[in-house]
Amino acid sequence: MQIEIDEISKEFGTTAALFPVSLSLPSGALVALLGPSGSGKTTLLRILGGLEFPTSGRVLFDGSDATALTVQERRAGFVFQSYALFRHMTVFENIAYGLRARPRATRPPEAEISRRVNKLLDLIQLPQIGARYPTQLSGGQRQRVALARALAIEPRMLLLDEPFGALDAKVRKELRQGLRDIHDTTGLTTVFVTHDQDEAMELADLVVVMSMGRIEQIGRPQDIRARPATAFVRDFISA
Amino acid sequence: MGQPLVHKSPIPGLGLSAGITLTMLSLMVLLPIAALLVKGLAPGLPALFATVNTPRTWAALYLSFRLALVAAVFNLVFGVVLAWVLVRYRFPLRKLLDAAVDLPFALPTAVAGIALTALYAPNGAFGHIAKDWGFKIAYTQWGILIALIFVGLPFVTRTVQPVIEEIEREVEEASATLGATRAYTLRRVILPMLAPAALTGFALSLARAVGEYGSVIFIAGNIPLKTEIAPLLIVIKLEEYNDAGAAAIGIAMLLISFGMLFVINAVQVWSRRRIGNV
Amino acid sequence: MSDIPLAYVPKAFKPVATEVPWVRWLLITLVFLVLAVLLFAPLITVFYEALREGVGAALTSLTDKESLSAIRLTLLVAVFAVPLNAIFGIAAAWFITKYSFRGKAILITLIDIPFSVSPVVAGLCIVLTFGANSWVGSWLVAHGMPVVFAVPGIVMASMFVTFPFVARELIPVMIEQGKAEEEAALTLGATGWRVFFTVTLPNIRWALLYGVLLCNARAMGEFGAVAVVSGKIRGLTATMPITIEMLYNEYSSVAAFSLAAVLALLALVTLVLKTLLEWRFADQLAAQHRH
Repeated sequence: MQIEIDEISKEFGTTAALFPVSLSLPSGALVALLGPSGSGKTTLLRILGGLEFPTSGRVLFDGSDATALTVQERRAGFVFQSYALFRHMTVFENIAYGLRARPRATRPPEAEISRRVNKLLDLIQLPQIGARYPTQLSGGQRQRVALARALAIEPRMLLLDEPFGALDAKVRKELRQGLRDIHDTTGLTTVFVTHDQDEAMELADLVVVMSMGRIEQIGRPQDIRARPATAFVRDFISA
Repeated sequence: MGQPLVHKSPIPGLGLSAGITLTMLSLMVLLPIAALLVKGLAPGLPALFATVNTPRTWAALYLSFRLALVAAVFNLVFGVVLAWVLVRYRFPLRKLLDAAVDLPFALPTAVAGIALTALYAPNGAFGHIAKDWGFKIAYTQWGILIALIFVGLPFVTRTVQPVIEEIEREVEEASATLGATRAYTLRRVILPMLAPAALTGFALSLARAVGEYGSVIFIAGNIPLKTEIAPLLIVIKLEEYNDAGAAAIGIAMLLISFGMLFVINAVQVWSRRRIGNV
Repeated sequence: MSDIPLAYVPKAFKPVATEVPWVRWLLITLVFLVLAVLLFAPLITVFYEALREGVGAALTSLTDKESLSAIRLTLLVAVFAVPLNAIFGIAAAWFITKYSFRGKAILITLIDIPFSVSPVVAGLCIVLTFGANSWVGSWLVAHGMPVVFAVPGIVMASMFVTFPFVARELIPVMIEQGKAEEEAALTLGATGWRVFFTVTLPNIRWALLYGVLLCNARAMGEFGAVAVVSGKIRGLTATMPITIEMLYNEYSSVAAFSLAAVLALLALVTLVLKTLLEWRFADQLAAQHRH
């Protein structure tokens, strides 16, 4: 799905988190929103997911206005920084959650839910852990379960907030490839937020560098590296 | 057992603190309870059962337990709502309400008892209204129920409040991004998270209500077989110098409250094991 | 996470992690109504009934010989019961949190027993232990030290029902604070008592005060347990709650409610102090009070 961000701004009370920004994300792209904390990248991601409402501007999905769609209607697969797994549910129940939450008319039968959950467990390469609880998993496993849970609702796009932020360096490297693989398999337009320029440069097709609520530069990793548009970008990517 | 009874520690005061703790615990709590058990069990179990096995005692035990259960269920439901409102919503006088929740803990039961009676008696402010509708509250089981709800009110709210504070907003957001309506999120995500704490509060509220005396005694009317609670029966037996009879009912009440605590503890251990360390 | 934004939000957008406004206002109204009926109405009734015949009548009834002796006795009971339970609470918390030993969980459970025992059963236990029919009691009576139907029994009954209060407040706080500071003080050459007074006590003082406050409110207001052991002898073993009962049953409504109003004031003062402690020293109180 192609995503169009049209002059989106966001104010919290009197402080501006985002100045009007515009951005076009091609269908099927893997996009990194890169910037330091307070740059507005998470706010932008949350606006895409329907978790915040922009103060002004529009969001368009495949050319049609999606600004007024509720979170539920957006069908954005959202992976939270803390993963936000439901800890009173097993891994299986976590992944099945979005399917079971559907109104009766569109809810798949239990057998179908079970089939889909197991398929997702295979996709994240953790076929054996369905019966476990989130507290019994490692950080990397939790991240992958959160990803599978987001994919279960057959999302129109995948949004990830610092997906590797809570992991140690070694696991982080492994899971980067995992995300790339899942993106390539599903073909979903994927946006992830990160403050780690290595991560953004290595993983993304398109990098959006942000600072202080503004977009500093949009481009392919090699272009940004070769021709940083501003002094901020030059400093940030060489850090 | 290879493990020593007490591990060696460089911190002084072991003898003194252990001495005070164990002596006072034995003297103040264990010895009196032992005396109750000895006195009640001395005539033998059949005699004990015969003492308890009268219609009046059964009626009193049944009344105390049944009304305590109803009151605790009310407090469970309302306590969770109250905790949610106090933690999640912002409105005028919120802090006053929050502080006032503890009033039943702080207000002596006899004071609560006469105040509730004055309110709900047929000539009282609320009792008067009820009378106009052809309804009697004080001196009936309804009056007892109101008193038991009053004394048990804070327990669930106070155990659930800290749990609500610790729920990450992201968990609720995650549920919404997965397509769940707010009602579904509350039912399937929030309530299960609150359940263990709510259950603890429920148990405390129930235990308190089963044994409650001061706030109930004024409003109950104390009619044998109808509105006579179990603790009152103990007082009556004592006034008749029937120590063994009082002890028998006392043991029955102990068994009920310990039995309840045991069941609820078991449920909690089970739910904690499922959810992990909440 | 940030609060719900104040910025202009079109009608279509519903904040995610809260209920829709009409549900919020419905619940808030419900809570106000229920608390007004259940909590505030009885509280107001106490003062209304006390002042029904004017402030003068209320004050006169309080200076009555019977009421004055009840107030004196209640204070006397608290003077013994509260410090003794505070000492127990400190000793128990020290024993439980500074050492590791077998049976700790059982000990904690035993300390909590009074919370799950009916006050009347508590009084009954004291009567059966120290009453004239028991061998301890008959010995005590023979030596001129009756417990039941006398002040010592009332103190013991009050102590029984408030037994866990201080320990319960202190144990979680002292577990959280660990024992590193005490160990540091010891390595610096401080003696045991010095460590306690200069390191431990300052760390736990607000939690201790909190526990003492609750213990005191309950001890002064205890009815069921005291009713069983006191014998209700006017001027001698009738505490304030017992006197309230006697006056109420004699239809001396103003006198009963005036005395009740004094206890209600004590409850209000307790609540105010408790709330102040929670606001001001939240970090030094047991975790369940932090909000």
